[in-house]
Parts: sequence; C-alpha cells; structure tokens
Amino acid sequence: MKQEQVLSNNLMAAGVVQDMVPQNKISLDKEHCCLEVKDLDLFYGSNQALKSINMKVPVKRATAFIGPSGCGKSTLLRCFNRLNDLIDVCRVQGEIKLDGENIYDPKVDVAELRRRVGMVFQKPNPFPKSIFDNIAFGLRLKGIRNKKHLNEVVEKSLKGAALWEEVKDRLYESALGLSGGQQQRLVIARAIAIEPDVILLDEPCSALDPISTSKIEELIHQLKERYTIVIVTHNMQQAARVSDFTAYMYLGELIEYRDTITMFTNPKEKTTEEYITGRFG
Amino acid sequence: MTHLTQELDRLNMKVMQMVVQTEQALSKTVNAFSRMDADLAQEVVDHDKEINELEVLIDQLCLRLLALEQPVARDLRFILGAMRLSNDLERIGDESANISDATIFLSLPPPLEFYDQIQIMGQKAYDMLQEAIIAFSSPDTERAVNVCRMDFEVDEINSKVIKLSIEHMSQDSKTIEQCVQSINIARRLERVADLATNIAETTMFIVQGTSIKHSCQFDDRV
Repeated sequence: MKQEQVLSNNLMAAGVVQDMVPQNKISLDKEHCCLEVKDLDLFYGSNQALKSINMKVPVKRATAFIGPSGCGKSTLLRCFNRLNDLIDVCRVQGEIKLDGENIYDPKVDVAELRRRVGMVFQKPNPFPKSIFDNIAFGLRLKGIRNKKHLNEVVEKSLKGAALWEEVKDRLYESALGLSGGQQQRLVIARAIAIEPDVILLDEPCSALDPISTSKIEELIHQLKERYTIVIVTHNMQQAARVSDFTAYMYLGELIEYRDTITMFTNPKEKTTEEYITGRFG
Repeated sequence: MTHLTQELDRLNMKVMQMVVQTEQALSKTVNAFSRMDADLAQEVVDHDKEINELEVLIDQLCLRLLALEQPVARDLRFILGAMRLSNDLERIGDESANISDATIFLSLPPPLEFYDQIQIMGQKAYDMLQEAIIAFSSPDTERAVNVCRMDFEVDEINSKVIKLSIEHMSQDSKTIEQCVQSINIARRLERVADLATNIAETTMFIVQGTSIKHSCQFDDRV
C-alpha cells in the first residue's frame, strides 16, 4: 500500500479526514440487486471476451458500463437477455441470476426472459408500422386484443417515454416518419409497454443530436424510478450524468465498479483514472 | 500529451508562479519587520498587484478548463484545488502588503520590547507557508498534515502578543498606536498561518480526494 494511502487510512480512522463524496452517497452494499453475475466467462470461438465477471446490478438504479472499444461492455450487456445466444460461436460459462434464478438454466424461457429484460439499441429500430402498432406489438404477441386496454397501454407507454405530447395526434401514422430522437423514445416506449423489470440500453444516444440526447438522458432519470436501467455508453459525461453506479471494463475484465460520484471524482484504480481522464484508451 | 494535459500543465505553471511570488512577498514582509526596513516593506506593497493579476489569470484558466474540458477525477480535483489555492495565496499576498504597510509606520518610532515575539510569529507563519508549498509541489500529504500541527504555535504567540500589547498600552499611553499596529500585524500573521493550513488541506484534497478541513482542533488525534 502506498504511503499516502496508509496515512489517509490512519487519518480516516482518527476521524480527521473526511471522505469528500457527499454524505448521501449510495453504496452497492446497501442496494437490493436484481441481477447477479457470478464468475462469468464468455468466448467467441477461442477468443475470451469476458473474463471472470462478478457483479450485482441494483434494482431501480441506472448502472453504466464504460470502457474502450472492444472491452466487452456490450457483450456483457447482451448476456443479460441472452442475446449472445444468437451468435453461433459464442459460449458462456458461469451464472447470471435474475431475481435469484439463473437465466442460463436450460429450462428458462428465453422469450419470457427478453420480455422481462428489454433492450434498446444504438440505432432506433421502429417496425415499419404505425406508432400505435409499434407500441401494441408486444401486447398483441401476448394475445391481448382488447382495444380499450391497448389504447391505455399505448398512451401510458408513450407518456412514460416522454413522447405522448409529440405524437398523440398522429398515432396511426408511420413510425418511420418520426425524427431519430423520437424513434429512439418510441423504441423505449415499445420496450416498457410489456412491463419489463430491466431495460438494457446499448449506446442509445450515439446516433442522436444533442437535444434528442438530452431528452433521452432526462427520460433515463424518470425510467429508473420504475425500472432497472443498464446502459452502455462511450460518452463518459453521459455515464456521469445519468447513472448511479458505473462499471469500468478493460480487455474483458471488470476493473472497477462503484457509485458514479466516487468513480468520477476519486476512482480507486489507476487504470480507471487514466481512462476517464483521457490519458489512455 | 493530450490537449487537456497541456492545459493542466499550464495551469500548474501559473499556480507555481503565484506560489513563488507569494512566498517571496511573505519572506520580505517578515524580514522587513525584523529589520524595520521600510524600503523592503514598500517593495512588498508595490508588488502585490502582480499576485492579484495571477489570481485573475488562474481563475480564467480554471473556468475555461471546467467549461470546455469537463475534467474528472484528479484533474477535476486539481482544478478546484488551483482555484482555492490562488484565492488563499492572494489573501496571503494582501496580508503581506498590509503587514508591510504597518511596518512602514512602525519603523519610525523606537521599537517596543515585545517585537521579538512578532518576529518569531512571522518566522513561524513563513515556515508554515513554506511547508505547505513543499507539501503541495511534492506532493507530500504527511507534510500537509504537519502544517496543521504548526498552526497551534502561531495561535499561542498571537494571544501572547495581544496580551503584551494591552499591558504596554496601559503602562504607556504614548505607544497606543504602535501597540494597535502590533496587534494588527499579529492578527494578520495568524491569518497567514490559517491560510497556509488551507493550502495544506487543498493538497490533501487534490492528492487523495479527502478533506482535513477544520481538523486542526483535533490535532492530537493525527
């Protein structure tokens, strides 16, 4: 341990040195977590993309994954709804528990898992249908046909995605006519229509202009009151703005994972500091 | 070297420039009082504006870095620390100029016998500033904590000087103005010592992200 750390610890113990992070800081230890990753390894063929990942994702919080390209953050995100299953050469070892149940258990219904763990991608992907039909899609897939119920869910979801006021007069027009930012919020509305527990966001703003980005970020703050949010972003300032916890990954390893305030003011790992201050990566 | 690193180096250079000028100002102030050298004291008063200009420049650099570079972690702490430092150094510069002003006045009449206590106090305040500067530039957190320990001695001498001045005034009313100026100098030196502890606290903040603010009263626990 470095001399200055020893001194700091002694001073902390004496109550002379105070942690600079605000008193109301949140701590992973005190959080109720819905996702738990245990000794997770992932291979693309012979290439190991994730190495012994262990972490917990807290409920109704926004957790951000940051790290340089190729560090495995999107790969880890896609493990949470088993999207990596679609890649032939992908092999996963270890466990991911969603509310205590291993999602990689062969008995798990993957379609139901993906209902509970929704996903929004970098590029908005509305279906070539009306705005209404996009939102109602998942419900109809579940066999819900009741028009009144569908109307209620569509309105509620669009309001939840902060899009209702902008589209309420053109619900039956094509979703492809919306702007990029509106399309991304539509996709979020489509995800929340089927009431997921977790929403995964894979660089949701990287294709958007600053105004649309700001709306999505504001939306994330609102969404985390009802859903668990996990976001992958290349924009560190965005991670700092929207998340409660931040995980820094490098070369498939989870290097540091803690509350966002500490992460961006006083990270404990040197490599994290070098990455977030732009000296590396 | 990234653009941000270059800008931070430039900021560090300006802070160090201000550190050197302030240290020189206080050194001259203490010497001017010890030797009752009005010319040297006047030099301190004349050069104070250079320290003030550096404070403005450092503020501008910090503002620009915060607005444009969105720094985090140690970079962010360094910029916030630089703002605090420049503020404290500017105050030390002001106090030095004010003490020098009082020294010019005191250099005319014959010295009073308790001036030696003010000289000791001045030397201790200067030692504290020097220790704080070494702690900051090294950086050395142990030395930073040491600065806080030193503050007690200056506080004690301050009380002593006030007591001696009051006694002197009550015995010899002709020296009232000299005694008032002496109390004025002692209080300003005590303030300089406090500002030196601020610099030490800022060093801890920059290096470790921890605060030892207002901890000097718990000195025996360190």
